[in-house]
Amino acid sequence: MQFKKLFQVLVLGGAMAGAVAATACSQANAQDKAKKPPADAGTKDSSAGGGVKGW
Amino acid sequence: MTSARRAAGEAWAFRARVEQEAALRFDRLATVVAGFDPGSPVPAMMRRAADDERRHTELCARLAHGLGNPVALDPGAELASIAPHSLDARQAALYEVVAACCITETESMATLTTLLAGEQEPEVREVLHSISKDEVVHSRMGWAHLSRESVAAEVAFLGPLIPGMLAGTIDEGLFGPPPPDEDPEALLRLGVLPLAKKREVFLGTLEQVVFPGLERFGVDPESGRRWLAHAAGLS
Repeated sequence: MQFKKLFQVLVLGGAMAGAVAATACSQANAQDKAKKPPADAGTKDSSAGGGVKGW
Repeated sequence: MTSARRAAGEAWAFRARVEQEAALRFDRLATVVAGFDPGSPVPAMMRRAADDERRHTELCARLAHGLGNPVALDPGAELASIAPHSLDARQAALYEVVAACCITETESMATLTTLLAGEQEPEVREVLHSISKDEVVHSRMGWAHLSRESVAAEVAFLGPLIPGMLAGTIDEGLFGPPPPDEDPEALLRLGVLPLAKKREVFLGTLEQVVFPGLERFGVDPESGRRWLAHAAGLS
């Protein structure tokens, strides 16, 4: 298994795919960046979240 | 029927259900993501992915049927969000995309790559090839969304939530002993990884692909690493 190649193809390839219009996005959402998540995000609720079964 | 054909039939039936759920999830997430990031290419990728997954469902179900394990799928199935209820809609979407794409689809791609390095029965290999071409994109769209959100919003909240995603991903028996009648060679020919190989691929993919990817985009994977060490009996 060539994990290094998978990292390049999936992670870096994905980031490139997401970069389309990313500049406009970052400008439009600049204010969102300043918003802090709730301190108890994911911990206060009784549901801690789940995962997705795969192959 | 041999133990390998029985186990493979169960695996392909399980995959059919997994693919059906993925189609429902991607359809829902496409709408949510488009609502707060209209310039993103991800919603269109998700809609195409949903169509892919419906086709994969049929392929997996056909193989399961051929292996003596017909799968009954609920055409009216619905799928609830797996995100913690305390997250807002945008955070919940990111949680689900990371769990479904960055983790599960990336793991699936590693499994497919490993299988395709071996030899399978012709019909099985044809299905693996067909699905693997799509799964590359399904994994990428998760990393695409995470990379965009890491620029536009806060993503560090995901770090402590990674163990929950991982716990929901694995099978109970992943870190246990293989079935006594496991036939690794026959399983590989039928498109299924023997347990030891499955574990090796799962661990390697997390350690060398998923965790470094999360770190790259501002999500601390340390809690995930600790969970993994404990689950795998390494700590």
